[in-house]
Amino acid sequence: MTENYKPKVIGFLCNWCSYAGADVAGTSRMKYPPNIRIIRVPCSGRVDPLFVLKCFQNGADGVLISGCHPGDCHYTDGNYHARRRFALLRDFLDYLGIDKKRLRVEWVSASEGQRFAEMVSDFTAELTKLGPRSKV
Amino acid sequence: MNLFFSKDDLSRWLDSLLLERTVVAPVRVQELTMFQPISKVGEIAFDYDYTTLSPKGWFLPPSETLFSVQRDDGQVELVPTLVERDAILFGLHPCDARGIALMDKPFLQEPGDALYRDRRSRTALIGLACRQVRPECFCTSMGSAPDDPSDVDILLTEVEDGYIVQVVTEKGKALLPQGLVEYKGEVPTPPKLQVVPVKEVISTIKELFNDPYWEQLADRCLHCNICAYVCPTCYCFDMRDYSDKGKVERVRSWESCQSSGFSLTAGGYDPRTTKGERLRQRFYHKFLYFPEQFQDVACVGCGRCVRDCPVNIDIREVISDLKQLMEAKSGS
Amino acid sequence: MDMELIQQIRDKARNLLEEGTVEGIIGYERASDGVTARPFFAYEPPAAERLIFDETCTHNLVKYLLDKKGKKMAVVVKPCDSRAINLLLNEGQIERDKVFIIGVGCPGIVETSWNYKSETLQKRCRSCQLSSPLVYDFLAGGEFERQAEEETYSDIAEAEAESLANRREFWQEQFGRCIRCYACRQVCPGCYCPVCFAEQLEPLWVGIRIAPEENELWQTMRSFHLAGRCVGCNECERVCPVDIPLSLLNRKLEKDVKELFAFQAGLDPEEPPPFATFKKEEKLEFGE
Repeated sequence: MTENYKPKVIGFLCNWCSYAGADVAGTSRMKYPPNIRIIRVPCSGRVDPLFVLKCFQNGADGVLISGCHPGDCHYTDGNYHARRRFALLRDFLDYLGIDKKRLRVEWVSASEGQRFAEMVSDFTAELTKLGPRSKV
Repeated sequence: MNLFFSKDDLSRWLDSLLLERTVVAPVRVQELTMFQPISKVGEIAFDYDYTTLSPKGWFLPPSETLFSVQRDDGQVELVPTLVERDAILFGLHPCDARGIALMDKPFLQEPGDALYRDRRSRTALIGLACRQVRPECFCTSMGSAPDDPSDVDILLTEVEDGYIVQVVTEKGKALLPQGLVEYKGEVPTPPKLQVVPVKEVISTIKELFNDPYWEQLADRCLHCNICAYVCPTCYCFDMRDYSDKGKVERVRSWESCQSSGFSLTAGGYDPRTTKGERLRQRFYHKFLYFPEQFQDVACVGCGRCVRDCPVNIDIREVISDLKQLMEAKSGS
Repeated sequence: MDMELIQQIRDKARNLLEEGTVEGIIGYERASDGVTARPFFAYEPPAAERLIFDETCTHNLVKYLLDKKGKKMAVVVKPCDSRAINLLLNEGQIERDKVFIIGVGCPGIVETSWNYKSETLQKRCRSCQLSSPLVYDFLAGGEFERQAEEETYSDIAEAEAESLANRREFWQEQFGRCIRCYACRQVCPGCYCPVCFAEQLEPLWVGIRIAPEENELWQTMRSFHLAGRCVGCNECERVCPVDIPLSLLNRKLEKDVKELFAFQAGLDPEEPPPFATFKKEEKLEFGE
């Protein structure tokens, strides 16, 4: 593993809960690693598995998908669909040799800034341990 | 005068060629045989019967970057893909060699495709005559033969303890080591093949353009690209520019007239919207348009399309059917 | 060949054509090698005599219904093919009254290639739990019973048991051979998008480059688009010219969908597909 390896993480955060939660972390000056690049989506259900694969193809070491807690989706049921989709995709990618730890699905509400910061720190630490994606 | 290589001498010679050149030869890949660059002579499947893909991929790869354009500090640089080393294409059957000779016609015609031309001039072809043929082979109906040396630099024919060496070109002669003995033994008779009535069809195929035969045949066609991709003489490609972080690459990849959308033009017009029109194009290109331009039929009778078509669209059967249709039309 | 069964198919087909009930029959005939079968389209009653059915009839003819939309066609279906009919009915791609289904009980299809017919049953047939088609208008040969092995997904379990690094290497090698002929897509009844994601220009997902990374995206996403939809006919694997083991992708997803969502494609045309629905209480773990 190269010494200067810093994991590249792409995070798809749903606008109503997770993105707001990340915002709370920011305004409260809670520290979390700058490795994550955030892409705001209307709902975790918007996230197409193709986005995840494209992230990995373009060099992401980890992908995070974060949405509202099940039951609290701003669009009622988008996150239920995301839950099914990514439960399957995670295991499928692992089967293809992309460690399932690299695809993280979390439910973060708009008030959970602390939790968001801790979660990103944890994810980054785990990815640092796993090493760069291209070297599995 | 024929020369002779013992099996060991042949291996040694190939070893020496490997030092300075890329050697592309038939290699076993799982259950398949494919032409690939080798690192050791031991990788060569000398007794192969056929490769899934023809060796045309050495001159026209399935996908390649033709050049890239980079911008650094306001300086724009065009970086072409260059041919690094001389190469040997070893072990190709006469049908495949003929396929390359046919592809030379569009690609080397002035001004010529630069990358193809460079690869072609820097690659020597060492052919391997066929001691056996398969039921789908019909090279003799297409102007070749199991022992045809026409399109290679050296033709090898396997005999009991080695190979007969037929030197065809000066390029081939220059490659051979000194001191090869003359071969005084018997030259094996090439195996016999079925006859496919191609000549009769070529002269009359124009009149069947609007025949309902094509839509009917196309009913079962899947319009995948298998026939065109395994074919030694199909060469259609697509070219796109892709940019990423200030670097633009021009990529050229195989494409085929069978895909829907292949002939779609900007503006939305597509001259081949039906399955029959697309399937007909394949046969007309091979048996009418290419001969009109280059005086040769674009088929070498290798049988790959016959073997690999998932729904058994058999070019030999199509030729027979067309002959029958023409006979019915002319009332004979 | 079971001549009695074949005669029933021929008679029914001829009958349908003579009475004008259908515009054409999609069935099987003998291929040009004299050994295997190929799809055959009969439009006139005498052509019905060319129809056959035997253990080489591997093709999933249901795909062709999508080329003949608007026309009433008859199609010969095996049990696995009938699942494809249910899938397309479920997804609104075919209308039930526009297709006359000639069902055939199937003892299993053998492995074939050009001019060669083996004695070995295809992998998909060995653990196929169906004997008769699930939907038909006419059942040629009558009710049919066969014994099947239990479906244990042992091939998938074996693949899953390999280390992560081995799995990565294996799939890199397999995807490296892909030449993007798209035969897998073209033969699949579940692949019918007017513009496939692989052909989209905006957004550009795959592009025209044929290289391991692009191939991996193509293969992975095509399988994933078929999760909960693949009916297991395995024609994709059969037609692949470079022997990519596609069943190891599709069956993995089939197994997971079964375990996670208790769903299998093509068994019931009314059941909502697994990704169009959900259960609020279901616990899908994202742990290790």
